[in-house]
Amino acid sequence: MHESVLAFRKRRYLWVALLLAGLAILAYWFDDPQEPANGGTPLGYALGALGALLILWLTWFGVRKRRYSSTLGSVQGWLSAHVYLGTSLLVIVLLHTGFQFGWNVHTLAFTLMMLVILSGLFGVYVYMKYPERMSENRGGAPRIELIDQLEDIDRRSARVAAELGADFLEFVSSGIQRTQLGATLWQRLRGHDSSQILVRQGGQTQIAANAGQETALDWLAEQQSIAGDGETAAAIGELSALIRNKRRLLRQLGEDLKLQAKLEIWLYAHVPLTAGLIAALLIHILTVFLYW
Amino acid sequence: MRFLIRFIKKNAAGDAEHSDKIISAPAITIGRATDQMLHLRDRRARLEHATIERKNGDVHIKTGTIAGVTVNGRSQRDAKLAIGDGIEVGANIMRVIEPPDGVDFALSFELGDDAGAEFLEQSWITPTSGIAGWSKRRLSWSLAALIIIVAFALPGLSLLGPGVASVMRGSELLPDDGWWLAGPVHSGHSSTAANCENCHTSTFQRVPDDACMACHTADRHVAGGAQAVLGEARCASCHLEHNEPPELVKQHQGLCADCHQNLPADANLQNAGDFLDAHPDFRVSLLRPVVTGASEVEWSIEHVALAAATTADRSNLKFDHQVHLDREGIITPDGKRVVDCAECHVPEPGGARMLPVSMDEHCSGCHTLSFDPDDPTRVVPHGDPAAVVQSLVEYYSARLLGADPDAAEQRVRRPGAALTRADRDKAAAEARTKALAVAEDLFERRACTNCHEVSKLDNNADMPWWVRPVRLTESFFPHANFSHAAHDTEVTSCNSCHAARESRSAHDLLMPDIETCRDCHGSALERRNKESQTPSTCIMCHSFHFEAKGNHQ
Repeated sequence: MHESVLAFRKRRYLWVALLLAGLAILAYWFDDPQEPANGGTPLGYALGALGALLILWLTWFGVRKRRYSSTLGSVQGWLSAHVYLGTSLLVIVLLHTGFQFGWNVHTLAFTLMMLVILSGLFGVYVYMKYPERMSENRGGAPRIELIDQLEDIDRRSARVAAELGADFLEFVSSGIQRTQLGATLWQRLRGHDSSQILVRQGGQTQIAANAGQETALDWLAEQQSIAGDGETAAAIGELSALIRNKRRLLRQLGEDLKLQAKLEIWLYAHVPLTAGLIAALLIHILTVFLYW
Repeated sequence: MRFLIRFIKKNAAGDAEHSDKIISAPAITIGRATDQMLHLRDRRARLEHATIERKNGDVHIKTGTIAGVTVNGRSQRDAKLAIGDGIEVGANIMRVIEPPDGVDFALSFELGDDAGAEFLEQSWITPTSGIAGWSKRRLSWSLAALIIIVAFALPGLSLLGPGVASVMRGSELLPDDGWWLAGPVHSGHSSTAANCENCHTSTFQRVPDDACMACHTADRHVAGGAQAVLGEARCASCHLEHNEPPELVKQHQGLCADCHQNLPADANLQNAGDFLDAHPDFRVSLLRPVVTGASEVEWSIEHVALAAATTADRSNLKFDHQVHLDREGIITPDGKRVVDCAECHVPEPGGARMLPVSMDEHCSGCHTLSFDPDDPTRVVPHGDPAAVVQSLVEYYSARLLGADPDAAEQRVRRPGAALTRADRDKAAAEARTKALAVAEDLFERRACTNCHEVSKLDNNADMPWWVRPVRLTESFFPHANFSHAAHDTEVTSCNSCHAARESRSAHDLLMPDIETCRDCHGSALERRNKESQTPSTCIMCHSFHFEAKGNHQ
């Protein structure tokens, strides 16, 4: 039975995180410093040290998950702890600040940490939701199967088009060559179909958008209506049927790529922001004592 | 239904060999999954790609895939199969053949090379990382480097020297070490705070006292015995900068109470802790006149319990607050009217304490020092008893000797004739007698004695009265910081703290006791207080550093 990282070992690390955050809140509540609450009181130093150690340990996850031979807990356990203890930082570090913020490197470090945590929470969300959605979208088949089917349709379309003549072959081939899903990151995140096709019009060949294979199907429908004989019309009809199937496959693939892009994109925030956070954290600690 | 599948394979010599497999089942399943009866190793095939089964007496091939199956070159979802038909699934080719006896349906299947191996991945589907442009690692190093340069290296140039620092700090665009500020600087330090090194004289070291003493002078609370308790405390141990809200002076109860609620036995001070219940009763500082010789007084300060029965104000003044504050009004030169406290008690600028009450400003409007009913505007001077007698002698001399043409007592004499010496001496003696008689009336019965302690001196014929000097206490609680202005609220009046309306004697001390304060001031801890009480710490009334105040020089 598959166990999600959130439910790992009866949510063991959720309880650890709640305990840490709860203890921090209690300590803050009962602490009565002789100055406005800040990171420099005894409790402030304690919370700051705890937060810094947690951040370094959480960052170590990036190393641990690549150490396939490590037997220090499972990667699943590490990820579960990473998620829960990372979230507990929200409380621990917020209390470390004593709710004092400003336009300075200290609040920069805090802000970066918040962004890292928020991007991580987004990551948890997509990892919980999207694999299932992707699987549903593909009807349980792996993506490579859809691609193979698409290639099969392309091959068969080309064969039918070749029987129909050079114009058809050229047209269908250009549509196959210029099939394009999510060329840029933004297009991919939106599931955009940027396919194109070469259309001959009045002796001139033009590139036309072919999103959803619409242009191809329109052209084929037109050709079918002017087809001289029933056999040609039937062949064009078969070609149209193949292209319609291709359209459905492209929609599935587009959705699949979109979901995958969303599944992966947060790490492009989470990892670099973590690097920024480590830099800002070191500067924060250094400058606090530089001008002590 | 009995199916036959004939697997055809070319041997090393290139000749076709075949092996048959007979299956008894309602249908033949074809797909990539290993549980399929006809197992295809071609990724273009789905796990369960198609089924061949009997339908209405015919044999059909059906598929649920979008790509469909190709039967005789035509892509179809559901096709009726006849002998000789070719079926394509990906690169696999099957052919319907004549079934041998005892078999309902037969299919030949040509085993090719591993069909999936020839598949080439389409180039237009690149992984997300391929189209993101920058790798995560590159982004990470870039962001970290950017932050280190902008937030540390560039501001750090300020440490190279005052010249570089002033350039960095003077520029709007260049990041300076102001980015390292942990919080705002108190407005009182704004002029010196432009340069961090004014206070942070050495890097990685705490702010030393010398940095504070460059501008400030302060006697420490601890000039005496508490030095040992405070130990290595620096100015900045208590006076912390860069906090929000800015709080240069610690307000915390513990600042005082940590020591004062449990003083050593020889401390010569009462323990004092939380104001709600651990503060000693008030003691007042009073001026006490000590008669040091004939008509001479020295003032000493006594520090006594406010509540003690013997505690009395000894200013040598007589005053009845009740009479003056009569709600019916009192007779004044302007007629009968009600007098309020503020007519005499005027706050000093800033509103902390009250300005001293003076005869000239506050009393003389009603208490005129007139002495001649025929000449009510004529008054004796206030403040110097000898000057009073002198002014009376001069007044009556003038009347008798003619300086005042309207004087009734003036002698009748011939116009132009001068007084003889005998007349003058006689007149002078008369004037003096008259003046002393009036003075006696003023000193002993009418004016002076209303407010002053006056005693008769037998041994001084020239000045036979001694008015005891008056000195009002300026600060009854010199170790407490109190502001009348801060206590001027909608719910308070003078009477809330000072029971002046009931006071009939100037000996009454009209200072509020600690319980009066506790009506509104409570514990440092809010939860211990009544609703009417505001949390109050020691620093609200007391200063840590001693400062000379009031009568305490």
